Amino acid sequence: MAIVLESLAKIVFMFLLIMGMVPALIWAERKGAAYIQDRTGPNRAGIGGVRLAGLVHPIADVLKLVFKEDVAPTHRHRALYALAPWLVMTVAVSTYAVIPFGDFLTLGGHTYKLVVADLQVGLLYVLAVASLGTYGIVLAGWAANNKFTFLGGIRATAQMISYEINMGLAIMGLMLVFGSLRLTDIVAGQGGLLFGWLPMWGVVLQPLGFALFITSVYAETNRNPFDLPEGESEIVAGYHLEYSSLKFALFFMAEYCHMVVGAAMISALYFGGYQVPWLPRPMLEKHAGLLLQLVLGLTVAASLLFAVLFLRRVQREKGKFGDARDREPVLGAAFWLVVALAAAGAFALRPGDIGAAGASIFASLFQVGAFVGKVVFFAWLFIWVRWTLPRFRYDQLMRLGWKVMLPLGLANLVVTALVVALVGSGK
Amino acid sequence: MAKLTIDGGAIEVADGTSLFDACRLARGEALPHFCYHPDLSIAGVCRLCQVEVEGMPKLTIACNTTVRDGMVVHTRSEKVRKASQQILEMHLINHPVDCPICDQAGECGLQNQYMAYGLYDSQVAESDKVNKAKAQVIGPHVILDKERCVLCSRCVRFCNEVTKTGEMGIFNRGDRAEIGTAPGRELDNAYSVNTVDICPVGALTSRDFRFQKRVWMLKSADGVCAGCATGCNVRVDHEAGRVYRLKPRRNAQVNGSWMCDEGRLTYKDVHADDRLVEPSWRGQAVTWADAKARLAEVAVGGFALVVGSAHQSLEELGLLKLVAPGAVFSGGLAGSDMGVGDDLLRSADRTPNRRGLQLAGLPEHDAAALAVLVRAAKGAILVHGGDPAAAPEVAAALAGRQDVVYVGTHRRATAQAATLALPGATWAEKAGIFVNRQGRAQAFAQAVARPGQAREDWRVLAELLPATAAAPASLKALREAVRAQLGLGIDLDRLPADGALTGGEA
Amino acid sequence: MSFEGLPKGSTDGRRSPLESIYLWEVVKGLAVTGRHLVHNIFHTGEMPTMQYPEEKRVYGERFRGRHRLMQREDGTPRCVACQMCSTYCPADCIHITAAEHPDPAIEKYPATFDIDLLRCVYCGLCEEACPCDAIRLDTGIYEIAADSREKFVVDKEFLLNERTRGTR
Repeated sequence: MAIVLESLAKIVFMFLLIMGMVPALIWAERKGAAYIQDRTGPNRAGIGGVRLAGLVHPIADVLKLVFKEDVAPTHRHRALYALAPWLVMTVAVSTYAVIPFGDFLTLGGHTYKLVVADLQVGLLYVLAVASLGTYGIVLAGWAANNKFTFLGGIRATAQMISYEINMGLAIMGLMLVFGSLRLTDIVAGQGGLLFGWLPMWGVVLQPLGFALFITSVYAETNRNPFDLPEGESEIVAGYHLEYSSLKFALFFMAEYCHMVVGAAMISALYFGGYQVPWLPRPMLEKHAGLLLQLVLGLTVAASLLFAVLFLRRVQREKGKFGDARDREPVLGAAFWLVVALAAAGAFALRPGDIGAAGASIFASLFQVGAFVGKVVFFAWLFIWVRWTLPRFRYDQLMRLGWKVMLPLGLANLVVTALVVALVGSGK
Repeated sequence: MAKLTIDGGAIEVADGTSLFDACRLARGEALPHFCYHPDLSIAGVCRLCQVEVEGMPKLTIACNTTVRDGMVVHTRSEKVRKASQQILEMHLINHPVDCPICDQAGECGLQNQYMAYGLYDSQVAESDKVNKAKAQVIGPHVILDKERCVLCSRCVRFCNEVTKTGEMGIFNRGDRAEIGTAPGRELDNAYSVNTVDICPVGALTSRDFRFQKRVWMLKSADGVCAGCATGCNVRVDHEAGRVYRLKPRRNAQVNGSWMCDEGRLTYKDVHADDRLVEPSWRGQAVTWADAKARLAEVAVGGFALVVGSAHQSLEELGLLKLVAPGAVFSGGLAGSDMGVGDDLLRSADRTPNRRGLQLAGLPEHDAAALAVLVRAAKGAILVHGGDPAAAPEVAAALAGRQDVVYVGTHRRATAQAATLALPGATWAEKAGIFVNRQGRAQAFAQAVARPGQAREDWRVLAELLPATAAAPASLKALREAVRAQLGLGIDLDRLPADGALTGGEA
Repeated sequence: MSFEGLPKGSTDGRRSPLESIYLWEVVKGLAVTGRHLVHNIFHTGEMPTMQYPEEKRVYGERFRGRHRLMQREDGTPRCVACQMCSTYCPADCIHITAAEHPDPAIEKYPATFDIDLLRCVYCGLCEEACPCDAIRLDTGIYEIAADSREKFVVDKEFLLNERTRGTR
């Protein structure tokens, strides 16, 4: 019973983390794209005048998509048409099961591993589930009974097959280095330092493998520059052309879930997961009080900075709109002042002595925070890349996969195997 | 025959031909002109058709010159060009140039010829022009604008020579000369709108057509007037499913260049409010599918009496005989649709195809005789077109019968009396052939789309054919079948432009 | 083959070894977009985006906005229903029915004058065609919105009224 509750709690945490990131990523995508292209981006939707620089837009988007009419083609395969978006969504979320989001958490004398399922064959599970994602797309393309969706599905399949191999090859290199398929082992193995100063991250040990892996992940998630299954310039919207309303929303959300999963995989396999460089767990626990003070102090400083920025806006934009939006700078300044006050209060309470148990919890939370921070960065990288690179042509995509990345992956595997045989694995 | 050279090309025409006609032949287009009209006398007042004839000291007007063997004529020389330009400028000195509000704009002689031969800059300020009366009602059908007139005298000659009523004349002199009706008289003869047609400018406009449509928006179809047995050739001007006016089409054998005012208004019946636009079963509107099912009920034993009408085309009358080979046939009410005729164009017989009825062998009956036939009918009755139930005797005989099928165009007495009424097409909505009082078969083309669910009559009749008879696949096939059936020696599908005589007594 | 006229950096298919690896070029591209992003975060005021309902673009005097009908001194339309505009109109959006005016000096006037603003392409040919300067597109009104198609069909009274905006 306890283990069920424990797993449930971890699943809920993971699920909320992903689902919370989706709207934030949609916002980041829109706002980031706008700023990269010298535009303002979303800034209209607001609740009582509070617009949060466009963060309210995803809420409006969701409401719109939920209440829109579900238009569906007459000649669709009904069951598969309805199944496809759920399949895509489910697969996107299930990958998280094996990704460790922290080391362990000691609560009330009991120690919990911060991973939903610590599978021995975690890496294989990731590969297997990721390839299932193709089914959702292929079924969506086929069931809609439209030539464009069908072409999108076909493209997705061919692309998936081509890049799955490269992904596998890259991961095999990593497996050789760390000597395990268990993700927790791989993350734990990246805690040390190389030559006494370089974090022993996967990216350091397997630079070529990382390049191959991140490229394959981009292809697997169907994100630019590998979003040929949608390829709106050639096949309208690809596999999700005939979907609308909530079903389309599922595809849309699944894309961002895939992004988060990709970012989590990159973080866990090549950037040390929850490991904080130069701050191994014992150090974290030892200096917990100091670090907490530091975090609080930084919060105070940042909040004050934000408050000042808002106060300047109050001055500058007095009655600019003549409606509820005029309240926003005032509310923002008040909010950040309250946060600053609260953090300053906490700082003044001198939480230096939180005890050993408290220090352990702090260390665990700090590591989870480090993991989330890395995921956020790599998720942002997805967006950044999308608004930087043009889409590949299909032949270029295939050439890159089979004629460039496959030989490189094989070479990487051979060299890694030789080095591991001569020097020994990272364990 | 006279051989002459026009613009360097040799041409041979019959002696006595006017130089105007010879030039038209040689040039492929008429010389500029206002006053010349083929069906009126030569007036020679507009001076626009001047040509250079070698040997003559000055330019001469072509319309009033007869060809002579060996003539050498120049119609495009600089001298001629300048002369016609200057004459045109003179015509336009007092013209108000109010084309935006003028109905003639688009088919105006001044506009066309200015673009072809004028293109000069006006030297007359608008304030210097002589003002005359505008928008004067001079008759039941015609409005006169004296400012626009170029004094070509066509309308005066028409009233003097064709109708011989002489209502119109030119009054005063110099730039005060103006066209008008004689004191105390109106332009109220039966052919008055012809003056509008022949007026080369916008001086005379039709009260019926006035401001209804700009003429360049109209499309035209060649038709035959269905107003009486004369069968004047007409041009049906229509746009967006609506007929706007009828204009005479020249046919020297039938109507010359004219038609009567009454005939011009026959198009109003096409857009009448009481048009039959959907099949109706006992007064209830039904779909064609339903109508066909009802038809099978009504005409289960075939038709015993078939009543045609002189308003239907020759093809339809021929097909009617095939629908019920064993039935009694009638051509409808004898002496129906009679009016006042005259010796110019109008016939007393106001049906377009009574000769066709006779050709098809459908004898007409008077009301009493038709009522007897109706009462005697032992099977279903088919009435096609016309309105026999307008006669009280026939209406009484039809009353109470539950097996009367009517194919027609208007919801009048017969349609009301019929059990099943099927909507057909009027003359403007179908192609067909009328045989006029001379026995001349003349084809008319479809101008506008049929309203509502109305169908071509021959297609409706083809539905009624007994299973043993093969329905004609097209109007062409039907015409061939009717030609064979009536034993006519003419190709009904390719009638000449001025019609073809069907033979028999005229 | 000539390389003149090609933009700087164009290789015309020939790449240096570093460029052919592509990854380094990706990083360079990311740097470009990153620079824009960071610059725009700290200089939001410099962005050319116009916050439309609050800020409005100033159009030139010759901007063709919604039509209006010009009036005579007595307030009746100048239009004489010659239908030059509807004839010339490439979008077939002007519908006029003419009628006889009681004053023979005016003679003809538009009984109805409807413009379908949805069909109109604002080309201004009607204005060019008009012999009476009766129709103009000089109102500067470009905010034409309504919640039904019928409201986009504006009539004579609407076009004559100088206080109307947008659509009915």
